[in-house]
Amino acid sequence: MTPAPYETQSAPRWTVVVMLLALLWSTPVAAQQTDAANDGYPSTGPLSGYMDFHFNKADGENGVLDFHRFVLLLSHAFSPRLRFVGELELEHAFVEGLEESGELELEQAYVDFLLSRRLNLRAGMVLMPVGIINERHEPPVYNGVERPFVDTVIVPSTWFEVGAGVHGDLGRGWRYRAYVVAPLNALEFAADEGIRGGRQKGSEADVRNVAYTGRVEYLGIRRLTLGASVWTGESSFAAPRLDTSVTLGEFDARFRRERLELRWQFAQVRIGDAARLNDSLGRTIGVSPNVASSLRGFYGEAGYRIWNAGAPRDLVAFVRYENFDTQFRMPAGFEPLKEFDRDAWVTGLTYYPDPDIAVKADYIFLRNQSGLFPSRHLVNLGLGWWF
Amino acid sequence: MFIRTLLVSSVVVLLVTSPGAVPASQAPGPRVIEVTAERFEFWPSEIAVAEGEEVELRIHSEDTVHGFRIVGGGTNLVIPKRGQGYAVTRFTGTQPGRYTFECSRMCGAGHNFMRGELVVRPAPAGHAR
Repeated sequence: MTPAPYETQSAPRWTVVVMLLALLWSTPVAAQQTDAANDGYPSTGPLSGYMDFHFNKADGENGVLDFHRFVLLLSHAFSPRLRFVGELELEHAFVEGLEESGELELEQAYVDFLLSRRLNLRAGMVLMPVGIINERHEPPVYNGVERPFVDTVIVPSTWFEVGAGVHGDLGRGWRYRAYVVAPLNALEFAADEGIRGGRQKGSEADVRNVAYTGRVEYLGIRRLTLGASVWTGESSFAAPRLDTSVTLGEFDARFRRERLELRWQFAQVRIGDAARLNDSLGRTIGVSPNVASSLRGFYGEAGYRIWNAGAPRDLVAFVRYENFDTQFRMPAGFEPLKEFDRDAWVTGLTYYPDPDIAVKADYIFLRNQSGLFPSRHLVNLGLGWWF
Repeated sequence: MFIRTLLVSSVVVLLVTSPGAVPASQAPGPRVIEVTAERFEFWPSEIAVAEGEEVELRIHSEDTVHGFRIVGGGTNLVIPKRGQGYAVTRFTGTQPGRYTFECSRMCGAGHNFMRGELVVRPAPAGHAR
């Protein structure tokens, strides 16, 4: 059966026209016409999800068993062009009010208006299109029991916010997405984890200012993916006298050939007016948080499939070097805390008894540039799966 | 000698009449295009087909189960997991235009990005079938 053409060479170019068409397409009458050849709509997809639990042991400390993530994904297609995706995550297995424990998070809940290959609209709770991991975080997708440090303290994955924007495929391997989203809250920034604490997570988010984020990917060479991301926004809505603009820039690359897989990522964050932010917070809480004016991190990873006969004979060995400093540049009058200038060697194995199940083991040698805090040795075991 | 001749003849007959044998007079099959699916992309994501041409798409997964649906085309396949085979479908470019294909099985956070196009190019004037 040959379908009706989805898009022709003469598709309208002007955004306004396309947006008007979006509204038309979303009307019931138009949907009937579009769906005539697509039986089965509306349809709700099967329940999907991923889970992982870990054993973490640092030298000199007791081991910890943690059911880290229990995530369910829901999807529904109202029509071929109107789709809903939701992702609900329970972290650390247990949530109790007013106490430090787990988290229940709505990481994704958006509607896609699929207009054309080149231009589609998305609105709701969206993942920030920044870095390798934030949009690709299913356990079998990455090596290591825990996500890379750079994708935790420099790019604060999982990073999600309410917002709206566009995404599409421009052809010849170019793909993009760009959203307007709720900003970070600079009053929650910290010396050790940078901007991570500032995520509003779509929970009654203050949008006195908005932030802009986007990503461009090039996939035009087989097995090579190049990406560049940016996030920028005024983040001092809770202290309007400040001017704490935040800009994050990021580049990454992934390459796979035969048994070899390589990954590389670089990310840098600039925080404007950090000196006044520290002064303001210092007066409020009694101690300066020593927030940096710049954070930087990068890593490179090489993985090799040493057993390549297909699951259950599927084993990957990997090594990753990470360098990340949440005190990379300090505002005038502030000294960097060198214990937060860190690097790590991570090496381990990922065994796939099934392509969707990853049994992981790794060893981490984590160093810092302070003479006061010793290096750490960590051993991690994990089991993660996707269905 | 007779037994040897009989054996050789039998083998030749078996080879010629086996299902895998292709008679010399049989027309060649459609052009085969190997497609790879992995989170969250198809490779190639744009497949050119001449007007009137039939192609056979053989779709492998590099990771989990994916789907392959030609939007509006009635084709909706399950692509097995990595190393567990592949899905096959045929497509005939009867009308010039762009036909979207997409992953039809939720495969992760970027599932809705996993799309591509079959581009049917018009046949040159005088060659329309």
